[in-house]
Amino acid sequence: MQHHQHILRNKPFRLCLTALLLVAGCETVKDAEGPAGGDAIPESVTAYNELLQPFMNQYCYSCHNVDDMKGGVDLESFETPEIALGNMALWERVEEMLRTGQMPPERRPQPSAEELEKVLAFIASHQEATRKAIKSEPGQITMRRLNRAEYNNTVRDLLGVAFTPADDFPPDDSGYGFDTIGSVLTLSPMLMEKYLTAAERIAHDVYTRETGTESKEVSRRYVFTCEHEGKAHMASCAQRVLAPVVRRAYRRTPTREEMNALLHFVQLARDNEDTFEQGIEVALQAMLVSPQFLYRVEENPKLRFGNPDRRVNDFELASRISYFLWSSMPDDALLRAAEQGQLQNPRTLRLQIARMLRDEKSIAMAEHFAGQWLEFRNMAVADPDPKLFPTFDKPLREAMEKETILFYESIVREDRSVLDFIDADYTYLNASLANHYGIDGVTGENFQRVTVDRAQRGGVLTQASILTVTSYPTRTSPVLRGVWILHNILAAPPPPPPPDVPALESAKVDQSAPMRARLEEHRSNESCASCHARIDPLGFGLENFDAVGAWRTTDGDHPIDNSGTLPDGRSFTGVAELKSTLLERKDEFVRCLAEKMLVYGLGRGLEPFDEPVLDEIVAQVARNDYRYSALVYEIVRSLPFQKRRGEPEKS
Amino acid sequence: MISFTQKRTLDRRTFLRGVGAAVALPTLDAMASALPRPSASVSPVRMAFVYIPNGVIIEDWTPAADGTDFALPHILEPLGPSRDSINILTGLSHHNAQALGDGGGDHARASAVFLTGVHPVKTDGANIRAGISVDQIAAQHLGHHTRFASLELTCEPGKLAGNCDSGYSCAYSNSISWRSETTPNPPEGNPRAVFERLFGSASENLDPATRAKREKYRGSILDFVLEDTKKLQNTLGPTDRRKLDEYLYAVRMIERRIESNEKFAASEGVELEVPESAPKDYAEYARLMFDLQALAFQTDQTRIATFMMAMEGSNRAYREVGVDGGHHGISHHQGDEAKIADIRKINRYHMEQFAYFIERLKKTEDGDGSLLDHSLVVYGSGISDGNRHNHNNLPVILAGGACGNVKSGRHIKYEDETPMANLYLNMLEHAGVPTQALGDSTGKLNYLSAV
Repeated sequence: MQHHQHILRNKPFRLCLTALLLVAGCETVKDAEGPAGGDAIPESVTAYNELLQPFMNQYCYSCHNVDDMKGGVDLESFETPEIALGNMALWERVEEMLRTGQMPPERRPQPSAEELEKVLAFIASHQEATRKAIKSEPGQITMRRLNRAEYNNTVRDLLGVAFTPADDFPPDDSGYGFDTIGSVLTLSPMLMEKYLTAAERIAHDVYTRETGTESKEVSRRYVFTCEHEGKAHMASCAQRVLAPVVRRAYRRTPTREEMNALLHFVQLARDNEDTFEQGIEVALQAMLVSPQFLYRVEENPKLRFGNPDRRVNDFELASRISYFLWSSMPDDALLRAAEQGQLQNPRTLRLQIARMLRDEKSIAMAEHFAGQWLEFRNMAVADPDPKLFPTFDKPLREAMEKETILFYESIVREDRSVLDFIDADYTYLNASLANHYGIDGVTGENFQRVTVDRAQRGGVLTQASILTVTSYPTRTSPVLRGVWILHNILAAPPPPPPPDVPALESAKVDQSAPMRARLEEHRSNESCASCHARIDPLGFGLENFDAVGAWRTTDGDHPIDNSGTLPDGRSFTGVAELKSTLLERKDEFVRCLAEKMLVYGLGRGLEPFDEPVLDEIVAQVARNDYRYSALVYEIVRSLPFQKRRGEPEKS
Repeated sequence: MISFTQKRTLDRRTFLRGVGAAVALPTLDAMASALPRPSASVSPVRMAFVYIPNGVIIEDWTPAADGTDFALPHILEPLGPSRDSINILTGLSHHNAQALGDGGGDHARASAVFLTGVHPVKTDGANIRAGISVDQIAAQHLGHHTRFASLELTCEPGKLAGNCDSGYSCAYSNSISWRSETTPNPPEGNPRAVFERLFGSASENLDPATRAKREKYRGSILDFVLEDTKKLQNTLGPTDRRKLDEYLYAVRMIERRIESNEKFAASEGVELEVPESAPKDYAEYARLMFDLQALAFQTDQTRIATFMMAMEGSNRAYREVGVDGGHHGISHHQGDEAKIADIRKINRYHMEQFAYFIERLKKTEDGDGSLLDHSLVVYGSGISDGNRHNHNNLPVILAGGACGNVKSGRHIKYEDETPMANLYLNMLEHAGVPTQALGDSTGKLNYLSAV
């Protein structure tokens, strides 16, 4: 790749080559170009030298140099203009700071309107040009171990296991906010011991269930689908019993060699004077600890030369889809479609996805995708102060979580607009949660769909689960909530606080003053202001919700001030206006959701070369009335989901 | 050899505190393996590393005087009874926990560097990398002496969603033990699971014939998966092959354990009581985890343990000692006296639990002395002052005599910025694993040796 980049740096040549390859109908176009990262466009370099650098020299470098690094930003010490221009995230931030007038600080020399306009225009055109030059790539997806949820769901669907063995497994580490990241999911000796024990338990459970005196009829069994008729038929019966299970467990047709290795256990059991059924039990154990079961294996094409990327095969695609939508293995219908090559057909693919989203197993998206996207999984460890919030007990905690799960599920199952996540006129409540919200007319502990006043409730921002996990044990935090919105709704996370955060001078602010007044101090401090001007106002909009999501109009003795003004000048008062402000830029939210879902589904972090994929997904979702299924379909159809990067042997 | 009565008393005392269901465990392989211990004169060195998050109120940690004649400051007071068995080491530092151009993320770096001395790669997951940790270097060399090469424990399972520390994968904050530079060893937080792993569970109460058969099947299954793995390797690219190495390593470790089980005969009737789940009360929970480590050392199940008293950046509220705010939140006290007082309470509370561990090791006979005489236990944090996030002059206690190799009862002041990793070179040497370098080490520490 590196080599290619050098050769192809000259733009006209690159275009030529592209055209040539297109004519040849060759799919290698995307790879021949390489990522645009360090591949700066000559016009940009000139403009950087003649326009941007002199501008920054005059207005920026005095603080943003390698020694001072105000706000953790150094704009000066790039080795070459190409490297500088390649840092797109940086220019995005610079652009915002300049455009919204947050930089340069007021007490510093200010650029003229004309200067500013020129620089902003250049940054915008550079961004545009860079985006256009980017070509999508599949990216590196590391082989994924089943995480705890996937393991539980898979053994449930594979063998009808009614218990959840993975609850005893150690927690899975997460990266990019999700526990589906192949490179982060490790396997320790301790976990392997647990896999062995779980396999024994599961296989024995199947054995007891299906061979006991009260066992189900043959047609309703998962494994023992043929009665063996004496020793003569044992080998063929074992094959008949095991082959379908192994196919589902490995999520592809097993090879003859693989089958023989497993069938060997049946013979081994007989040699040890155990029964045929016990032999099957041991074979199941072996299957359940095989790497073919525990990992989602995708083969690496054998490379000699040329383009190493390939379309994932039909079985691999089926697994990608089913673990994305169900956190579980493909079912028979999906495996069959894969086997018959039907998933290549857009219509079949769309129908399969629609079918899978309607299936109750799609609750996995609410529990595992949304649980991590919206962070309400942290409800399990949320710890509000019992003295301040005495009504927060286990049933209420569980009800809060359930509200968000049911709400998410309604959007999936009814194929609603994803914009409903931000604002909707309904939610799901039981008596205790309704009581917590101050909503009348809901009785009993069962959940029901309730129409709500959008000025107070409706949409995830108003749900107690989210409001609780973004609070401290004793109080709300507009900062945590603002950061949460930037991360999870707008995909514009603030940069981390610089290493040496200057302390808020507490002497200046009366500690009994409202939180808001204390936070104002942030913004009188220059190095805090640039980020907190974006963070805090969003959190202020949610100040009517206390640290466990109940509605309030005062905080202690202070009336709530729920107004906020964003750096770009848009202002709002209260949660209803906050919601409509967020919905003014629908695509920002849809893009954020698409990013999160893509990370979750692919099992890797996103790279600059994924930008065009996201652009396309957002455009298509908008064209399809923001339907949930459209988002899912576009992700499944996207290049990184359909393709796999080949890895050369010498890397 | 441990006598039967000794064994009974120690075990019962340990687990009586536990709440919940009691399980009778008539036969224990694990106890059996403890029996043929090395002869008393050559007791092995045990190593434990105990981690506390978010730094400390360093003024209330550091004794005013150095040498042997010092008063224990407020936070260290609980160590009073064990004063002669500990050293307070000041000035040790982890340069590689600093930003070094990587911006925020001091918490993630603090835990990742603590036992590795290596500056971790800032990544949310694509290329996790720190360094092999001191406990794992020891485990690689000494692990074959015991059923378990090492034990990794925690009192706080990691965060369940969201980001742990700006731009760093949660793997960095949740583990201090690293088996290789790319593979953290996640700790176990469920005391029952730890217990069953070490000493077997009720379901393993099988007759010898059934047990033998099961072991045989297990052996065949492991052979099968190794064969399977070999074939699989041929079809994978380099990255996935490296991933599969984790699997291979895990399988080999289990094979070795089965072999070591075969070396020891089963012992008779020991009854233990095990709590069903982690105790709610923090002190009870932490002490149970310490008990498990002490017991694992005593019975020679392992000689190496790491223990995170909470994950780095932990925001636990220690209501047990009247602290309602989250630990991380209030550690940024910004000079607020009330918050400083709360942090001090937490620091001392953690120390009380550690003191319990040290006293327990001291009370446990081991060969020609106590278990503490034959141990080296580090207690500390990768952050010095939680408010400032600095990584120099870290709070560090070293307890235990390393079989007469370390002289205790002192406050040793090292020059500030002395690499913490230097301490690990001393420890590895005393454990019989002389090592030239670890992380940013520059050579062994002076003044520790008793000879």
